[in-house]
Amino acid sequence: MEKMSRVTTALGSSSISGRTMFCHLDAPANAISVCRDATQVVVAGRNIFKIYALEEEQFVEKLNLRVGRKPSLNFSCADVMWHQMEENLLATAATNGAVVTWNLGKPSRNKQEQLFTEHKRTVNKVCFHPTEVYMLLSGSQDGYMKCFDLRKKESVSTFSGQSESVRDVQFSMKDYFTFAASFENGNVQLWDIRRPDRYERMFTAHTGPVFCCDWHPDDRGWLATGGRDKMVKVWDMTTNRAKEIFCVQTIASVARVKWRPERKWHLATCSMMVDHNIYVWDVRRPFIPFATFEEHKDVTTGIVWRHQHDPHFLLSGSKDSTLYQHMFKDASRPVDRANPEGLCFGLFGDLAFAAKESLISGDASRKPYPGGDRRYPIFFFKKPNPTEQFAHVSSALSVFESSVESRHMDWLVKTARLYLLSGKPFAELCDHNAKVAKELNRPQVSTTWTMLRIMFSDPANLSTPGPNHIGKLGTLPLMNSFSMKEMGTGLVAEGRLERSKGESRQDNLHLEPGNSLINSNNDENEETEGSEGQAEYMFGDAELDDDDLYSMEHENHAAEEQEYTLPQEAFPLRHEIMDNPSAPEHLQQDKADSPHASGNEAEVMCLTPIESFSLISISQPLFSPHLPAQFFCPVVREMLIHYAEQGDVQMAVSVLIVLGDRIRKEIDDLTQEHWYTSYIDLLQRLELWNVSNEVIKLSTCSAITCLNQTSTTLHVNCSNCKRPMSNRGWICDRCHQCASVCAVCHHVVKGLFVWCQGCSHGGHLEHVMNWLKSSSHCPAGCGHLCEYT
Amino acid sequence: MNAWTQGFPAEHCPEHHTPSHGWSSSHIIVTFRPQREMFLARSIAADHKDLIHDVSYDFHGRRMATCSSDQSVKVWDKSENGEWICTANWKTHSGSVWRVTWAHPEFGQVLASCSFDRTAAVWEEIVGESSDKQRGLRHWIKRTTLVDSRTSVTDVKFAPKHMGLMLTTCSADGVVRIYEAPDVMNLSQWSLQHEISCKLSSSCISWNPSSSRVHPPMIAVGSDDSSAVYSGKVQIYEYIDHTRKYAKAETLMTVTDPVHDLAFAPNLGRSFHVLAIATKDVRIFKLIPMRRDATHSSTPTKLEIQVLAQFDNHNSQVWRVSWNITSTLLASSGDDGCVRLWKANYMDNWKCTAILRGDGIPVNCSHDVVSQQSLLTASSAERF
Repeated sequence: MEKMSRVTTALGSSSISGRTMFCHLDAPANAISVCRDATQVVVAGRNIFKIYALEEEQFVEKLNLRVGRKPSLNFSCADVMWHQMEENLLATAATNGAVVTWNLGKPSRNKQEQLFTEHKRTVNKVCFHPTEVYMLLSGSQDGYMKCFDLRKKESVSTFSGQSESVRDVQFSMKDYFTFAASFENGNVQLWDIRRPDRYERMFTAHTGPVFCCDWHPDDRGWLATGGRDKMVKVWDMTTNRAKEIFCVQTIASVARVKWRPERKWHLATCSMMVDHNIYVWDVRRPFIPFATFEEHKDVTTGIVWRHQHDPHFLLSGSKDSTLYQHMFKDASRPVDRANPEGLCFGLFGDLAFAAKESLISGDASRKPYPGGDRRYPIFFFKKPNPTEQFAHVSSALSVFESSVESRHMDWLVKTARLYLLSGKPFAELCDHNAKVAKELNRPQVSTTWTMLRIMFSDPANLSTPGPNHIGKLGTLPLMNSFSMKEMGTGLVAEGRLERSKGESRQDNLHLEPGNSLINSNNDENEETEGSEGQAEYMFGDAELDDDDLYSMEHENHAAEEQEYTLPQEAFPLRHEIMDNPSAPEHLQQDKADSPHASGNEAEVMCLTPIESFSLISISQPLFSPHLPAQFFCPVVREMLIHYAEQGDVQMAVSVLIVLGDRIRKEIDDLTQEHWYTSYIDLLQRLELWNVSNEVIKLSTCSAITCLNQTSTTLHVNCSNCKRPMSNRGWICDRCHQCASVCAVCHHVVKGLFVWCQGCSHGGHLEHVMNWLKSSSHCPAGCGHLCEYT
Repeated sequence: MNAWTQGFPAEHCPEHHTPSHGWSSSHIIVTFRPQREMFLARSIAADHKDLIHDVSYDFHGRRMATCSSDQSVKVWDKSENGEWICTANWKTHSGSVWRVTWAHPEFGQVLASCSFDRTAAVWEEIVGESSDKQRGLRHWIKRTTLVDSRTSVTDVKFAPKHMGLMLTTCSADGVVRIYEAPDVMNLSQWSLQHEISCKLSSSCISWNPSSSRVHPPMIAVGSDDSSAVYSGKVQIYEYIDHTRKYAKAETLMTVTDPVHDLAFAPNLGRSFHVLAIATKDVRIFKLIPMRRDATHSSTPTKLEIQVLAQFDNHNSQVWRVSWNITSTLLASSGDDGCVRLWKANYMDNWKCTAILRGDGIPVNCSHDVVSQQSLLTASSAERF
């Protein structure tokens, strides 16, 4: 289609063909102009004035108009124009104020025909009348425009813009007598060539200089203007007042503007500084260039469409001393690289999605002609016009909200809130957290907590004598190999436990759980004497187990019962996930039995892990009397790392805190710090400040605990002399008295200090509370009736 | 209001999702969901005059910024009832605005934008300083314009918070610039710290979010250069403490098609990094830093690179990828106008778990049915 148009539109002369090509000039170009049949181009500049022939593959220099040994300033051109009717006639605007015409038909080397030296300053622009052969118009820096009849020696009329410099003059295509002039003060004037006394119309087009203007070639009365304010505006001049109908915002001041032939909405612009590219805009979509030519290395000074009916070739000259012919199909299309979609994941699993509307509704529009349908020849397939497609775009913005019941992040928030990390005995923390995980439908995590409780709250010993040591070593590799095989590390421990249970079960079935625990307690008592460091922990844990023991024997604690049911519920899942061929069969029996089990039985059943565990410790007295807590450390370490690598840093940190010293040494500090920072960052994102603070407080990494102290300054003033205290302690430097003394016990208060807002006496919270039970007067004896709220 | 979408199993339509409130400019549609992942599509009348190129949530997910070719940025705030209300709209650049991004709230309510006009800008929201009544109590003011680029600035990103207040831009001429605000209270002063020349026209950047001290600062740069056909389009740079410069750690040679977006997954305590890439398909890479001695700190870390997944389900260019905060879900959007969600099961097998259409119409192409099948199997996996 494009080819056809080219042939028909170029009928007047030979058809135009060519490619993107360039040639080096001797000097920077200021302006270019092309002859009517598009076969030659003239390049003019301060030090150049040449004519090149446009051939298929290259530019060929035809003529150098700059002749003479010492060319006069008349050759220094600011602008050049080739007459569109008379193919031998050229006009140039010289920087010294001369307007020169050139006749290429002259036989001599010097083709200069006429010289008008009427302007006092640089002539910025010359313009031939589109239909009148001898009429030439000039616009100068001195603020005057002059009209010349080339048959006469002097100008026929002078137009005074009564303002600063004239930057551009252009004869109207539509109206024989009208021309437009643009000024440095931002105005555009319309003149009638017959009335030199006063302009017909004037309007302010831009803020700052208007560097260029161009009439629409299709006779519509549209005028495009470009200014230093980086804008191109299109004015409808047919109405009484010039009406701005389009405004294109470019990124640099606009030096030239040229409507594109045969394309109603397109115009080309180039810039005066900074930006070296040539842009072609569709005025209906003023934000993004339709096409860009990026070849020039310096400012582009002249652009001209090669033929007035051919939209495919653009010529340009530049300060970088090159002359280019650009082919439109080689232009880069910024919109192709511009991304038509935006996508962002919100905090709670929301998705914000913005997309070009044609992409979203693409399927609907394609429906009449599904892809596989070949009934219609491709020829009839009406392809939407690319320029039409370009002009009409918009984006649809939508937010996909994950619905309430499946909020992605809910479990994370709830878990963070509900987990207990400190403040209770270890086993209770584990049980609580297991329960939380269970309720949030995360059985694996829940099971892990349960396992942790079992592993570490068992009254295990630390120092194992020689022979036992061997036994321990024997089991360790076995365990590791499991952990490599199994996916969930939480399951590793389980699998291992079940195994050992299977081994030990037969000969120990008759043993009561109670007995086993008592035995183990005895064992522990014997052996803890030797170990000092961990004794505290061991003792506390042992006590816990006693509690467990009692509650189990009495079997009447409702709360405990609830807790105990947890592991039982976790059982069925084990088998589903694990699919371990070597899993002991009795477990399936357990599973089958459990629904029918009575309360008492169920309780025993659900305690199987504990039971079996204590069984191990007794049933293998020959190898090791207990499995020490340390024994599990490698497994737990691996489990934590597994959770972290899976992205569940919450689990890793929570376990790390709850286990505390039991596991801390197993994991290197940098990794711990990394987990902490990641988790804290996550909590802060979710605005869980309290949890985040708790984690910071409970962390053992120095880098983390100091987070709470950054940019916190405490200023203390002495309560006696009201002066700022030095940081030396509790005694004021100046009055040498203890500040903040408790009114009741007369000791310095370190910690919570409560005081009456009336008399400002106070002291230890506990002491003051006790005092107030007996008296409502101030304990300091000031007689004030204190009120504490 | 759109009606319930067709082909939707009746039992999957809970009562309370019936659109009931009369917000005229928006409608709520229930889009396709696999089993428990249910999405409400709330369409927002964005009213940008040209294409929207980027959407960005803030740190806490309560604010949203959009930028468009119409040279403006809009800020949206979530109201009590979940509607997004445009609270600010201003002209930011004199060219298409490609990207907009939020700084960590520790530094204030700060946005950065980058544009075709060859600049990047930093904006701050000011509360109650203006005498201008019309602008209301809150308004955005420009704190700085970064004008170092000679070509279109294609992406702008703040560095992870633990590195301080740093801003990175990349431009079409392949230069990545890293700026730092030495004084976090003064957003108008930025100094250019590093200039990395990538040789290829750059389209996107992503910081490795890991806060571990074991991981030096790392940045991935994607290129949409179509002229260099066979070169790797994703480069990874790492900060070398020894030389105080960024050096190339790796080029992903397998990615040779133009890259439109890339995103590191939130690190969350992992020892390795996960990088999602939007090119002609969606790709997920795992970058495992190899152990190294402290003595060799003058060279970048060696990375072992594994391809975790590669999907061409979009059947077209993929434009955007985005991770959720726990890095369990990856969303991608392509020229097909669909958003696809990807999720790994416990075996690290990535599967499509949902397809969302921008207009809420469920997807019923044949190849999508297949992926719906596969997501059913995927959703039985353990959910983290």
